Amino acid sequence: MKKGRISTGIYGLDDLMGGGFRENTINIVRGGTGVGKTTFALQYALFGLNRGEKVIYVTFEMSEEQIIRDSRDLGWVELGEHIDNKNLKIIHLFGEDLTFPSLDFAEIVRKSNPSNNPRIVIDPLTYPTFYSEKEKRKSLSTIFQELRKHGTAVIVLEEPADGNNQQDGSAMPLYLADTVIYLQNLGFGEMYDRTLRIMKNRGSKHGEGLYPYSIETGFGIVINASEKQIERVKPKTTFDDRFKKAIEQTKSMGKLKDLLEARIGVLQKNWTHDEDPSRTLALVLEEEKKGNGKVKRT
Amino acid sequence: MVKLKGLEETLDELYEIEGVEACILYRIDGVPITIRTPGYREHLLETMFWLEKQIKRVLGEMNREGLRETIFYFRNNRILIAPSSKSTVLVTIAEAEANQQLVSLETLRATKIIEECVA
Repeated sequence: MKKGRISTGIYGLDDLMGGGFRENTINIVRGGTGVGKTTFALQYALFGLNRGEKVIYVTFEMSEEQIIRDSRDLGWVELGEHIDNKNLKIIHLFGEDLTFPSLDFAEIVRKSNPSNNPRIVIDPLTYPTFYSEKEKRKSLSTIFQELRKHGTAVIVLEEPADGNNQQDGSAMPLYLADTVIYLQNLGFGEMYDRTLRIMKNRGSKHGEGLYPYSIETGFGIVINASEKQIERVKPKTTFDDRFKKAIEQTKSMGKLKDLLEARIGVLQKNWTHDEDPSRTLALVLEEEKKGNGKVKRT
Repeated sequence: MVKLKGLEETLDELYEIEGVEACILYRIDGVPITIRTPGYREHLLETMFWLEKQIKRVLGEMNREGLRETIFYFRNNRILIAPSSKSTVLVTIAEAEANQQLVSLETLRATKIIEECVA
Protein backbone atom coordinates (compact mmCIF):
# COMPACT_ATOMS: atom_id res chain seq x y z
CA MET A 1 0.00 0.00 0.00
CA LYS A 2 1.36 3.38 -1.04
CA LYS A 3 1.91 5.83 1.83
CA GLY A 4 -0.93 8.26 2.34
CA ARG A 5 -3.31 6.05 0.39
CA ILE A 6 -6.44 4.28 1.51
CA SER A 7 -7.28 1.18 -0.47
CA THR A 8 -10.65 1.44 -2.15
CA GLY A 9 -11.34 -2.25 -1.54
CA ILE A 10 -12.65 -2.52 -5.11
CA TYR A 11 -10.75 -5.24 -6.91
CA GLY A 12 -8.67 -3.69 -9.67
CA LEU A 13 -9.39 -0.03 -8.88
CA ASP A 14 -6.33 0.91 -6.81
CA ASP A 15 -4.02 0.25 -9.76
CA LEU A 16 -5.99 2.72 -11.84
CA MET A 17 -5.86 5.55 -9.34
CA GLY A 18 -2.33 5.67 -8.04
CA GLY A 19 -2.81 3.20 -5.19
CA GLY A 20 -6.23 4.15 -3.82
CA PHE A 21 -7.96 7.18 -2.34
CA ARG A 22 -5.78 9.85 -0.79
CA GLU A 23 -6.11 10.08 2.98
CA ASN A 24 -8.63 12.59 4.35
CA THR A 25 -10.44 13.18 1.11
CA ILE A 26 -14.00 13.22 -0.16
CA ASN A 27 -14.62 10.63 -2.83
CA ILE A 28 -17.91 10.62 -4.69
CA VAL A 29 -19.33 7.54 -6.40
CA ARG A 30 -22.22 8.43 -8.64
CA GLY A 31 -24.48 6.58 -11.00
CA GLY A 32 -28.04 5.53 -11.73
CA THR A 33 -30.13 2.91 -9.99
CA GLY A 34 -28.68 -0.59 -9.93
CA VAL A 35 -25.11 0.19 -10.96
CA GLY A 36 -23.63 -1.03 -7.67
CA LYS A 37 -23.13 2.16 -5.68
CA THR A 38 -24.10 0.59 -2.35
CA THR A 39 -21.99 -2.47 -3.17
CA PHE A 40 -19.07 -0.09 -3.76
CA ALA A 41 -19.68 1.62 -0.42
CA LEU A 42 -20.03 -1.65 1.51
CA GLN A 43 -16.93 -3.08 -0.14
CA TYR A 44 -14.94 0.01 0.81
CA ALA A 45 -16.18 -0.29 4.38
CA LEU A 46 -15.58 -4.02 4.70
CA PHE A 47 -12.07 -3.84 3.29
CA GLY A 48 -11.12 -1.53 6.16
CA LEU A 49 -13.12 -3.38 8.81
CA ASN A 50 -11.44 -6.68 7.98
CA ARG A 51 -8.09 -4.98 8.50
CA GLY A 52 -8.88 -3.54 11.91
CA GLU A 53 -10.03 -0.09 10.77
CA LYS A 54 -13.10 1.73 12.10
CA VAL A 55 -16.01 2.64 9.85
CA ILE A 56 -18.87 5.10 10.18
CA TYR A 57 -21.71 4.31 7.79
CA VAL A 58 -24.29 7.08 7.48
CA THR A 59 -27.43 6.12 5.64
CA PHE A 60 -30.40 8.25 4.69
CA GLU A 61 -32.34 5.50 2.96
CA MET A 62 -31.68 2.11 4.51
CA SER A 63 -31.98 0.83 8.05
CA GLU A 64 -29.19 -1.07 9.80
CA GLU A 65 -31.12 -4.33 9.32
CA GLN A 66 -31.45 -3.71 5.58
CA ILE A 67 -27.75 -3.05 5.23
CA ILE A 68 -26.86 -6.22 7.13
CA ARG A 69 -29.31 -8.26 5.07
CA ASP A 70 -28.02 -6.85 1.75
CA SER A 71 -24.42 -7.58 2.69
CA ARG A 72 -25.33 -11.10 3.72
CA ASP A 73 -26.96 -11.59 0.31
CA LEU A 74 -23.70 -10.54 -1.28
CA GLY A 75 -21.88 -13.14 0.79
CA TRP A 76 -20.45 -10.74 3.37
CA VAL A 77 -21.55 -12.31 6.61
CA GLU A 78 -19.15 -10.53 8.95
CA LEU A 79 -20.89 -7.14 9.04
CA GLY A 80 -23.00 -7.91 12.13
CA GLU A 81 -19.91 -9.05 13.99
CA HIS A 82 -18.17 -5.75 13.23
CA ILE A 83 -21.18 -3.87 14.63
CA ASP A 84 -21.08 -5.99 17.81
CA ASN A 85 -17.36 -5.31 18.17
CA LYS A 86 -18.06 -1.59 17.77
CA ASN A 87 -15.79 -1.30 14.75
CA LEU A 88 -18.72 -0.34 12.57
CA LYS A 89 -21.25 2.29 13.47
CA ILE A 90 -24.30 2.60 11.26
CA ILE A 91 -26.21 5.87 11.59
CA HIS A 92 -29.66 6.01 10.06
CA LEU A 93 -30.69 9.63 9.51
CA PHE A 94 -33.54 11.49 7.93
CA GLY A 95 -32.62 14.63 6.09
CA GLU A 96 -35.55 16.49 7.58
CA ASP A 97 -34.21 15.89 11.09
CA LEU A 98 -31.15 18.02 10.49
CA THR A 99 -31.85 21.60 11.49
CA PHE A 100 -28.49 22.98 10.43
CA PRO A 101 -27.14 20.27 8.11
CA SER A 102 -23.63 21.62 7.81
CA LEU A 103 -23.21 21.72 11.60
CA ASP A 104 -25.38 18.81 12.71
CA PHE A 105 -24.04 16.36 10.21
CA ALA A 106 -20.38 16.79 11.02
CA GLU A 107 -21.17 16.74 14.74
CA ILE A 108 -23.07 13.43 14.45
CA VAL A 109 -20.17 11.82 12.59
CA ARG A 110 -17.63 13.17 15.06
CA LYS A 111 -19.56 12.00 18.12
CA SER A 112 -20.38 8.58 16.73
CA ASN A 113 -16.79 7.43 16.52
CA PRO A 114 -13.96 9.46 17.99
CA SER A 115 -11.29 7.04 16.69
CA ASN A 116 -8.44 8.18 14.55
CA ASN A 117 -9.10 8.51 10.82
CA PRO A 118 -12.01 6.14 10.26
CA ARG A 119 -13.46 5.24 6.89
CA ILE A 120 -16.67 7.19 6.44
CA VAL A 121 -19.48 6.18 4.12
CA ILE A 122 -22.52 8.28 3.28
CA ASP A 123 -25.04 6.28 1.30
CA PRO A 124 -26.65 8.16 -0.36
CA LEU A 125 -26.22 11.86 0.20
CA THR A 126 -29.75 12.98 -0.56
CA TYR A 127 -28.87 16.62 -0.62
CA PRO A 128 -32.10 18.03 -2.11
CA THR A 129 -34.07 16.91 0.93
CA PHE A 130 -32.09 18.90 3.39
CA TYR A 131 -30.35 21.76 1.69
CA SER A 132 -31.98 24.87 0.41
CA GLU A 133 -30.75 25.61 -3.10
CA LYS A 134 -29.27 28.88 -1.92
CA GLU A 135 -27.23 27.29 0.82
CA LYS A 136 -26.43 24.00 -0.90
CA ARG A 137 -22.93 24.77 -2.08
CA LYS A 138 -21.89 26.43 1.14
CA SER A 139 -23.39 23.68 3.30
CA LEU A 140 -21.77 20.93 1.28
CA SER A 141 -18.45 22.70 1.34
CA THR A 142 -18.63 22.96 5.14
CA ILE A 143 -19.65 19.31 5.54
CA PHE A 144 -16.88 18.14 3.26
CA GLN A 145 -14.31 20.23 5.11
CA GLU A 146 -15.36 18.68 8.42
CA LEU A 147 -15.42 15.16 7.01
CA ARG A 148 -11.93 15.60 5.58
CA LYS A 149 -10.66 16.51 9.03
CA HIS A 150 -12.23 13.41 10.48
CA GLY A 151 -11.46 10.65 7.96
CA THR A 152 -11.57 9.43 4.37
CA ALA A 153 -15.08 9.48 3.01
CA VAL A 154 -16.91 7.69 0.22
CA ILE A 155 -20.11 9.47 -0.67
CA VAL A 156 -22.66 7.76 -2.82
CA LEU A 157 -24.73 9.94 -5.07
CA GLU A 158 -27.79 8.88 -7.01
CA GLU A 159 -27.95 10.21 -10.54
CA PRO A 160 -31.29 11.80 -11.49
CA ALA A 161 -33.57 9.24 -13.12
CA ASP A 162 -33.77 11.22 -16.37
CA GLY A 163 -29.99 11.04 -16.67
CA ASN A 164 -29.83 14.78 -17.08
CA ASN A 165 -27.27 15.80 -14.54
CA GLN A 166 -26.50 19.16 -16.04
CA GLN A 167 -29.55 21.02 -14.81
CA ASP A 168 -28.85 23.97 -12.60
CA GLY A 169 -29.93 23.45 -9.06
CA SER A 170 -30.21 19.68 -9.20
CA ALA A 171 -26.58 19.00 -9.92
CA MET A 172 -24.22 18.25 -7.07
CA PRO A 173 -21.24 20.56 -7.19
CA LEU A 174 -18.79 17.78 -7.98
CA TYR A 175 -15.85 20.16 -7.92
CA LEU A 176 -16.08 20.12 -4.13
CA ALA A 177 -15.02 16.46 -4.10
CA ASP A 178 -11.49 15.14 -4.43
CA THR A 179 -12.41 12.11 -6.48
CA VAL A 180 -15.40 11.45 -8.67
CA ILE A 181 -16.09 7.94 -9.91
CA TYR A 182 -18.89 7.37 -12.38
CA LEU A 183 -20.61 4.01 -12.63
CA GLN A 184 -22.87 3.23 -15.56
CA ASN A 185 -25.05 0.38 -16.73
CA LEU A 186 -26.55 0.41 -20.22
CA GLY A 187 -28.43 -2.83 -19.72
CA PHE A 188 -27.63 -4.87 -22.84
CA GLY A 189 -25.90 -7.60 -20.87
CA GLU A 190 -22.57 -7.12 -22.65
CA MET A 191 -19.08 -6.47 -21.35
CA TYR A 192 -19.14 -2.71 -21.79
CA ASP A 193 -22.59 -2.16 -20.32
CA ARG A 194 -21.33 -1.92 -16.77
CA THR A 195 -18.50 0.56 -16.87
CA LEU A 196 -16.51 2.65 -14.45
CA ARG A 197 -14.85 5.96 -15.26
CA ILE A 198 -12.62 7.96 -12.99
CA MET A 199 -13.76 11.48 -13.81
CA LYS A 200 -11.45 13.19 -11.39
CA ASN A 201 -8.76 12.25 -8.89
CA ARG A 202 -7.38 15.43 -7.41
CA GLY A 203 -3.62 15.57 -6.88
CA SER A 204 -3.04 12.17 -8.40
CA LYS A 205 -2.63 10.46 -11.74
CA HIS A 206 -5.47 8.17 -12.75
CA GLY A 207 -6.63 5.97 -15.59
CA GLU A 208 -8.70 7.84 -18.13
CA GLY A 209 -10.31 4.87 -19.83
CA LEU A 210 -13.68 3.23 -19.72
CA TYR A 211 -13.31 0.17 -17.53
CA PRO A 212 -15.75 -2.73 -17.62
CA TYR A 213 -16.71 -4.21 -14.28
CA SER A 214 -18.88 -6.96 -12.92
CA ILE A 215 -20.59 -7.50 -9.59
CA GLU A 216 -19.73 -10.96 -8.34
CA THR A 217 -21.60 -12.43 -5.38
CA GLY A 218 -19.09 -13.01 -2.63
CA PHE A 219 -16.52 -10.58 -4.00
CA GLY A 220 -18.47 -7.49 -5.01
CA ILE A 221 -17.22 -5.17 -7.73
CA VAL A 222 -14.39 -6.54 -9.85
CA ILE A 223 -12.88 -4.28 -12.51
CA ASN A 224 -11.78 -6.03 -15.67
CA ALA A 225 -9.28 -3.55 -17.07
CA SER A 226 -7.03 -4.91 -19.80
CA GLU A 227 -3.28 -5.27 -19.29
CA LYS A 228 -2.77 -2.41 -21.76
CA GLN A 229 -5.11 -0.14 -19.78
CA ILE A 230 -3.24 -0.87 -16.55
CA GLU A 231 0.10 -0.38 -18.28
CA ARG A 232 -1.05 3.04 -19.50
CA VAL A 233 -1.40 4.28 -15.90
CA LYS A 234 2.08 3.19 -14.87
CA PRO A 235 4.88 5.79 -15.12
CA LYS A 236 7.32 5.14 -17.97
CA THR A 237 11.05 5.00 -17.33
CA THR A 238 11.93 4.92 -21.04
CA PHE A 239 12.49 8.66 -21.21
CA ASP A 240 14.51 9.18 -18.02
CA ASP A 241 17.45 10.55 -20.03
CA ARG A 242 15.21 13.30 -21.48
CA PHE A 243 14.23 14.41 -18.00
CA LYS A 244 17.85 14.31 -16.86
CA LYS A 245 18.84 16.50 -19.80
CA ALA A 246 16.04 18.98 -19.01
CA ILE A 247 17.15 19.18 -15.37
CA GLU A 248 20.67 20.01 -16.56
CA GLN A 249 19.26 22.82 -18.67
CA THR A 250 17.66 24.42 -15.62
CA LYS A 251 21.13 25.13 -14.17
CA SER A 252 21.36 28.35 -16.11
CA MET A 253 18.03 29.58 -14.79
CA GLY A 254 19.16 31.18 -11.56
CA LYS A 255 16.62 31.26 -8.80
CA LEU A 256 14.11 29.24 -10.77
CA LYS A 257 16.49 26.30 -10.98
CA ASP A 258 15.39 24.50 -7.81
CA LEU A 259 11.71 24.99 -8.49
CA LEU A 260 11.94 23.72 -12.04
CA GLU A 261 14.15 20.81 -11.08
CA ALA A 262 11.56 19.70 -8.54
CA ARG A 263 8.73 20.10 -11.03
CA ILE A 264 10.51 18.14 -13.72
CA GLY A 265 11.15 15.44 -11.12
CA VAL A 266 7.44 15.26 -10.32
CA LEU A 267 6.59 15.08 -14.01
CA GLN A 268 9.11 12.29 -14.51
CA LYS A 269 7.53 10.25 -11.72
CA ASN A 270 4.12 10.73 -13.33
CA TRP A 271 4.99 10.42 -17.03
CA THR A 272 2.61 7.68 -18.19
CA HIS A 273 2.57 8.53 -21.90
CA ASP A 274 4.26 6.51 -24.59
CA GLU A 275 5.29 9.75 -26.29
CA ASP A 276 8.68 11.38 -25.88
CA PRO A 277 8.45 14.28 -23.35
CA SER A 278 11.18 16.32 -25.09
CA ARG A 279 8.74 18.69 -26.82
CA THR A 280 6.84 19.39 -23.61
CA LEU A 281 10.04 19.90 -21.64
CA ALA A 282 11.54 22.22 -24.28
CA LEU A 283 8.35 24.30 -24.38
CA VAL A 284 8.19 24.66 -20.61
CA LEU A 285 11.86 25.59 -20.30
CA GLU A 286 11.55 28.15 -23.09
CA GLU A 287 8.48 29.75 -21.47
CA GLU A 288 10.04 29.74 -18.03
CA LYS A 289 13.12 31.53 -19.39
CA LYS A 290 10.92 34.51 -20.28
CA GLY A 291 11.53 37.29 -17.81
CA ASN A 292 13.86 35.14 -15.78
CA GLY A 293 16.07 37.37 -13.62
CA LYS A 294 13.69 40.34 -13.74
CA VAL A 295 11.49 39.28 -10.84
CA LYS A 296 12.90 39.30 -7.37
CA ARG A 297 11.53 36.42 -5.34
CA THR A 298 10.99 37.14 -1.66
CA MET B 1 -9.10 -10.83 -19.27
CA VAL B 2 -8.68 -13.29 -22.15
CA LYS B 3 -11.61 -11.71 -23.94
CA LEU B 4 -10.18 -8.25 -23.42
CA LYS B 5 -6.83 -9.38 -24.77
CA GLY B 6 -8.57 -10.75 -27.87
CA LEU B 7 -10.33 -7.44 -28.34
CA GLU B 8 -7.14 -5.41 -28.00
CA GLU B 9 -5.28 -7.70 -30.41
CA THR B 10 -8.05 -7.45 -32.98
CA LEU B 11 -7.81 -3.66 -32.92
CA ASP B 12 -4.00 -3.83 -33.12
CA GLU B 13 -4.22 -6.01 -36.23
CA LEU B 14 -6.74 -3.72 -37.88
CA TYR B 15 -4.61 -0.67 -37.08
CA GLU B 16 -1.58 -2.30 -38.71
CA ILE B 17 -3.22 -2.41 -42.15
CA GLU B 18 -1.51 0.05 -44.45
CA GLY B 19 -3.49 3.25 -44.80
CA VAL B 20 -5.55 2.81 -41.64
CA GLU B 21 -5.06 6.02 -39.69
CA ALA B 22 -7.15 5.13 -36.69
CA CYS B 23 -9.55 2.55 -35.39
CA ILE B 24 -11.82 3.23 -32.47
CA LEU B 25 -14.27 1.04 -30.63
CA TYR B 26 -17.18 3.11 -29.33
CA ARG B 27 -19.99 2.27 -27.05
CA ILE B 28 -23.30 3.02 -28.76
CA ASP B 29 -23.76 6.13 -26.60
CA GLY B 30 -20.64 7.60 -28.23
CA VAL B 31 -18.21 6.93 -25.39
CA PRO B 32 -14.88 5.67 -26.77
CA ILE B 33 -13.91 2.29 -25.30
CA THR B 34 -10.54 1.73 -26.87
CA ILE B 35 -8.59 3.70 -29.43
CA ARG B 36 -5.72 3.11 -31.84
CA THR B 37 -4.43 6.40 -33.21
CA PRO B 38 -1.07 7.89 -34.11
CA GLY B 39 0.20 10.91 -32.16
CA TYR B 40 -1.58 14.24 -32.34
CA ARG B 41 -3.28 14.93 -35.66
CA GLU B 42 -5.76 17.77 -35.76
CA HIS B 43 -7.99 16.35 -38.49
CA LEU B 44 -8.39 13.09 -36.57
CA LEU B 45 -9.33 14.94 -33.44
CA GLU B 46 -12.03 16.84 -35.31
CA THR B 47 -13.37 13.59 -36.76
CA MET B 48 -13.39 11.98 -33.33
CA PHE B 49 -15.33 14.90 -31.84
CA TRP B 50 -17.84 14.55 -34.64
CA LEU B 51 -18.11 10.80 -34.13
CA GLU B 52 -18.70 11.10 -30.39
CA LYS B 53 -21.61 13.42 -31.03
CA GLN B 54 -23.09 11.65 -34.04
CA ILE B 55 -22.65 7.93 -33.42
CA LYS B 56 -25.96 7.49 -31.66
CA ARG B 57 -27.83 9.17 -34.50
CA VAL B 58 -25.93 7.37 -37.27
CA LEU B 59 -26.63 4.04 -35.58
CA GLY B 60 -30.31 4.91 -35.35
CA GLU B 61 -30.42 5.60 -39.09
CA MET B 62 -28.45 2.44 -39.88
CA ASN B 63 -30.85 0.40 -37.79
CA ARG B 64 -33.84 1.91 -39.58
CA GLU B 65 -32.35 1.25 -43.02
CA GLY B 66 -31.03 -2.21 -42.05
CA LEU B 67 -27.41 -1.35 -42.88
CA ARG B 68 -24.41 -3.40 -41.73
CA GLU B 69 -21.92 -0.61 -42.41
CA THR B 70 -21.90 3.07 -43.29
CA ILE B 71 -19.17 5.09 -44.95
CA PHE B 72 -18.52 8.81 -44.61
CA TYR B 73 -15.92 10.79 -46.52
CA PHE B 74 -14.22 13.65 -44.66
CA ARG B 75 -11.46 15.51 -46.47
CA ASN B 76 -8.93 12.80 -47.32
CA ASN B 77 -10.41 10.20 -44.98
CA ARG B 78 -12.87 7.39 -45.45
CA ILE B 79 -14.71 6.64 -42.23
CA LEU B 80 -16.27 3.25 -41.92
CA ILE B 81 -18.83 2.72 -39.17
CA ALA B 82 -19.83 -0.87 -38.40
CA PRO B 83 -21.83 -2.03 -35.37
CA SER B 84 -19.91 -4.80 -33.61
CA SER B 85 -22.42 -5.90 -30.98
CA LYS B 86 -25.60 -4.75 -29.24
CA SER B 87 -23.65 -2.11 -27.33
CA THR B 88 -20.51 -1.41 -29.37
CA VAL B 89 -19.60 0.02 -32.75
CA LEU B 90 -16.29 -0.13 -34.59
CA VAL B 91 -15.02 2.84 -36.57
CA THR B 92 -12.09 2.66 -38.99
CA ILE B 93 -10.59 5.85 -40.36
CA ALA B 94 -8.53 5.19 -43.47
CA GLU B 95 -6.62 7.34 -45.93
CA ALA B 96 -8.05 7.70 -49.42
CA GLU B 97 -5.06 5.79 -50.82
CA ALA B 98 -5.66 2.74 -48.60
CA ASN B 99 -6.95 -0.50 -50.08
CA GLN B 100 -10.60 0.21 -49.28
CA GLN B 101 -11.84 -3.27 -50.01
CA LEU B 102 -9.29 -4.79 -47.65
CA VAL B 103 -10.11 -2.22 -44.93
CA SER B 104 -13.83 -2.95 -45.27
CA LEU B 105 -13.39 -6.71 -45.16
CA GLU B 106 -11.01 -6.58 -42.21
CA THR B 107 -13.27 -4.16 -40.33
CA LEU B 108 -16.25 -6.45 -40.76
CA ARG B 109 -14.14 -9.44 -39.71
CA ALA B 110 -13.02 -7.50 -36.64
CA THR B 111 -16.63 -6.70 -35.70
CA LYS B 112 -17.38 -10.43 -35.54
CA ILE B 113 -14.45 -11.07 -33.21
CA ILE B 114 -15.39 -8.08 -31.05
CA GLU B 115 -18.94 -9.39 -30.78
CA GLU B 116 -17.62 -12.70 -29.49
CA CYS B 117 -15.41 -10.89 -26.99
CA VAL B 118 -17.95 -8.48 -25.53
CA ALA B 119 -21.15 -10.53 -25.68
